[in-house]
Amino acid sequence: MKKARLLDPHCEAILQEYQDNLPRFREVEQEVKDKLRQTLADAGLLVAAIESRVKGYDSLAGKLELKGHKYKSLADLTDILGLRVITFYIDDVDKVASAVERLFDIDWENTVDKRKIHEIDSFGYLSLHYICSVPGFPYRFEIQMRTLLQHAWANMDHDTGYKSGVEIPKRYLRNMSRLAGMLELVDDEFSKIRIELTDYRRRVQALVRSGNLDEVSIDGDTFRSYLELEPFNQLNKRIAAMNQAEIQEVPLMPYLAVFKALGFKTLGDISNLIKDYSEGAYQIACYQIGLTDLDIISSSIGPQDLCIAYILKMGGGKAGIKYMFDQLNGESESNDLMAEMLLEQSKDLPFMKK
Amino acid sequence: MEIKINTQDSLTTAQLIGRLDTPASQEVSGDFDNLAQYAAGTIVLDCTELEYISSSGLRLFLSLRKAAASKGGKVIVKAINKDIRSVFMMTGFLNLFEIQD
Repeated sequence: MKKARLLDPHCEAILQEYQDNLPRFREVEQEVKDKLRQTLADAGLLVAAIESRVKGYDSLAGKLELKGHKYKSLADLTDILGLRVITFYIDDVDKVASAVERLFDIDWENTVDKRKIHEIDSFGYLSLHYICSVPGFPYRFEIQMRTLLQHAWANMDHDTGYKSGVEIPKRYLRNMSRLAGMLELVDDEFSKIRIELTDYRRRVQALVRSGNLDEVSIDGDTFRSYLELEPFNQLNKRIAAMNQAEIQEVPLMPYLAVFKALGFKTLGDISNLIKDYSEGAYQIACYQIGLTDLDIISSSIGPQDLCIAYILKMGGGKAGIKYMFDQLNGESESNDLMAEMLLEQSKDLPFMKK
Repeated sequence: MEIKINTQDSLTTAQLIGRLDTPASQEVSGDFDNLAQYAAGTIVLDCTELEYISSSGLRLFLSLRKAAASKGGKVIVKAINKDIRSVFMMTGFLNLFEIQD
């Protein structure tokens, strides 16, 4: 619903120009958003949200009513089309900014890094705004870039009327500033954690590559790096060769819980398992599929049979194997049946007698 | 080998009846292609009356699972008998599927 407003002819002309170009604004909105989304995705940059909007008729009329004399034409208004990229991390704001610089023409004269114009003793609206344009479209648009926490602050801030110009008692202003300062610290801390984690992962990968597996404790990151070395490949290929079977690659991360449950502490422990129990695992596989015509196996056959061989040899018995299947497949009575079957099949295998 | 497919909203149930050996797998591969159309939802392979599965049958199950993974759906293997369960275990595919008793 358009509200009835009394605007002078100059402002009416701007409004008319806006209405004439509205469909084109919407098209450019979509184009810019798609380009941004694609570029960030290609760069592997995960963001919390990309928002956009074209200013509504009433909002523009209201703005013109207040300060229409400031603008010669619609082209002087840079916020008819606005986009916002909300990042998870503070250092991603600059990465998004450099993507925006590559994608669009930036009006540097009117672009403000609000993060830098703060007084030394003030906190609050930290956000990066670029005024941009694209060839073939005569109007500029704005792209705001901020973190989730900056976004949260900006929204709360808006809601409390902090920026409305209405006099607000000093103690509330002080509280708002304290909050803003805290959020800024939290953003920095999140960033630090990410940097430290990346660093940790790099160090672990280097240790795994160099073969110092006894020094690497088992967790999700280290196990994933270890799997990249395809440690079970040799055993899998040996088992597959029995029936000229194809090996289907499947995720092996579920075995992390099994290795932990078996009490393994370092990647060296898994490496030793492969060294000491591959023969037992192979014997189990031979017994099970050697006399069948099954010619497809999964890449988890190696770790599965290694764990079975280890559990049986260590005296874990039926309960131990059932526990392993419970970890992998969820608890079920059928796991009990399979454990019993495995126990029966394996008891006369050579590795059990050694 | 017979497959009865029943679809209701995002849940598709396929009743597998008989022996899924190599010739039967070729016979029903068209049915599995049809099933893959519903891979964005949940597909239950009801194996109550499935007596046997060969490598070719396993491949059909796997390609259906792949289709579901790429479309955000899932495949549930329901009520497999002891022999079929041991085929899944011996080949290392047991934990790849959600198996319901």
